[in-house]
Amino acid sequence: MTFLHWIGDALRQLFEQVPLSVAKWLLIGQFLALIFWVVQLRSSETTPQDHQSKWYEDLKIWAWLALMMQIVIYGIF
Amino acid sequence: MTQLTSIDFLVIFAYLAVTMAIGLWIGSYVRSGSDFFLAGRSLPWWAVGMSLVVTDMGGTDLIGLGGDAYRYGIVMGNFEWIGCVPAMIVGGFVFIPHLWRCRVTTIPEYLERRFNVQLRSAVAACWLFFMACNLGVMLLASARFMNSLAGWDLSVCILVTALLVGIYTWAGGLGAVVYTDVMQGFVVIGGCILFVVIGIFELGGIEPLTDKVHVVARLKDRDDIRQREQSMSPQELAAFRAKNHQRRFQTESEHLSLVLPVDTRSPAPWPAVLFGLCFIVGPGYWIGNQCMVQRALGAKSEYEAKASYIYGALIKNLIPFLVAIPGLIALVKFPEIGHGRADEALGRLVGALLPTGLRGAFVAAFLAALMSSVDSYLNSATSLYVNDFYRRFYRPSADEGQMLAVGRWTTIGFVAWGIYFAFQLMEFPVGIYTIFQTLASFFVGPTFAVLLAGMLSRSASGDAAVTGFYAGVLTSLGLFGLNQPGICHWLGLKPLFQIGQPYLYYSIWSFVVAMLFIVVFSYFLRSDPPEKTCYAIGGIGPEGGPA
Repeated sequence: MTFLHWIGDALRQLFEQVPLSVAKWLLIGQFLALIFWVVQLRSSETTPQDHQSKWYEDLKIWAWLALMMQIVIYGIF
Repeated sequence: MTQLTSIDFLVIFAYLAVTMAIGLWIGSYVRSGSDFFLAGRSLPWWAVGMSLVVTDMGGTDLIGLGGDAYRYGIVMGNFEWIGCVPAMIVGGFVFIPHLWRCRVTTIPEYLERRFNVQLRSAVAACWLFFMACNLGVMLLASARFMNSLAGWDLSVCILVTALLVGIYTWAGGLGAVVYTDVMQGFVVIGGCILFVVIGIFELGGIEPLTDKVHVVARLKDRDDIRQREQSMSPQELAAFRAKNHQRRFQTESEHLSLVLPVDTRSPAPWPAVLFGLCFIVGPGYWIGNQCMVQRALGAKSEYEAKASYIYGALIKNLIPFLVAIPGLIALVKFPEIGHGRADEALGRLVGALLPTGLRGAFVAAFLAALMSSVDSYLNSATSLYVNDFYRRFYRPSADEGQMLAVGRWTTIGFVAWGIYFAFQLMEFPVGIYTIFQTLASFFVGPTFAVLLAGMLSRSASGDAAVTGFYAGVLTSLGLFGLNQPGICHWLGLKPLFQIGQPYLYYSIWSFVVAMLFIVVFSYFLRSDPPEKTCYAIGGIGPEGGPA
């Protein structure tokens, strides 16, 4: 039994205490955090700067959509 | 094994002819090293985005992830979902625009500008080794698939695939790779959708499929539990039975769950998925892998580089349904294949499900997936060698014409190496996806640590980054060694990890160790001069000069 085995066993026992439903919400939670981060990005960071941009050229919308799809998928499975 | 008819061959030949025509046509416009390695920075977002997705999906995913879905279930979809989407979005908004502004050709080139040449060489050598090995793995993956599907000779498959990809990559460089990827992307996604729809109809719909997966997988789970119990001591057996009491009687298997417990047999228990895949392997792969980043560096503007990653993230949501569901359908149709030969499941399923003509279409889709990965790794390995070794150390004054010539000769060299290595791997019994992920896990964590430290902090020093990178790689190699049964037996220890293929854990710990070394050594060592630290995020303006 080495120090590395001891660390591994301690972490394993710690994570075994976490119910799978909580683990699932941890995964979904980081998608939610990313959505909040994307929403607060400045428009200058998410739209083309060389011309007047159309609404669909704002990358925020598509990033938001991709993350929402992830939340639905992780909600189902 | 099934026979392909003349109609199937006609479909396959038509696909290959169109691919070669696109690649050679692009090649006729290549005039310089810059054209060859970055397509003259002229690529549109939609081409780069599709190329990113189809390169990552590739032949290893189609067979390897399909095979692992057969073994472990839809949990392997985590590699395409949580392992890609968050990393692509953060990478697309934060890291990729910065690399594009720095006007670099390779990731190691950025690391020299931010840190020093020692780190550039170390990172380039490691990734060159990974890509060179991967060429062989991918070529063998395709050969095994074609062998299980149509009985074609392994050697002939390896040679033909390598030569076809080699010719258009040699001619057209990154431009040929990206534009053939776009065509291949439509072929792959279209072929896979067709395959999945036919498979689900064959089983009577989605609900009968999930019911049958639960039944078959539960039987396999019980066999697995019985086998595990036979190798346990009385104390271990009592603890195991107490812990798994509920799981013995549940009617649903783990095959349709994305979140698995810590003691699962799959490579993806939830702590490894969250802390390894989501926070380290995913970002490290999408920000630190030259093969992925290179095509975004060839985008025509900073906005197009960002858009390519966001567009790719959107398409990524679809991919696991296309690669994992065939594995589940194969589990229901052929439960007798067994874990050891699960990589053959997809080939058998194609033969059983698809009629003449469509079989050829799926083989074309598979070849498209495979070729899109091989051509990308071929071009990126060439870029690393020519830019980070040949031009940096041997011929710093090489002009664009010389760079193009050396790039093309190097491409030929890597094709020959890929063929040789694929032949050497033929007798290797481990799953293809496992080889790929284990190799990647040695370098992804340490590379991500040095990139993160260099981009986000001006106080990280070059010497600390070099030390951290080496410490991280040694950590992952050490953990890999301590998990090998032969070494453990020799040392009198039990294996370090309980899950079957703990490559996600190698990445976590190698990242943690590398970052610890960088932080501690940077605290004690002198920080880098301003001409180095200006390459942290925020230090470079939109035009490529200091902000």
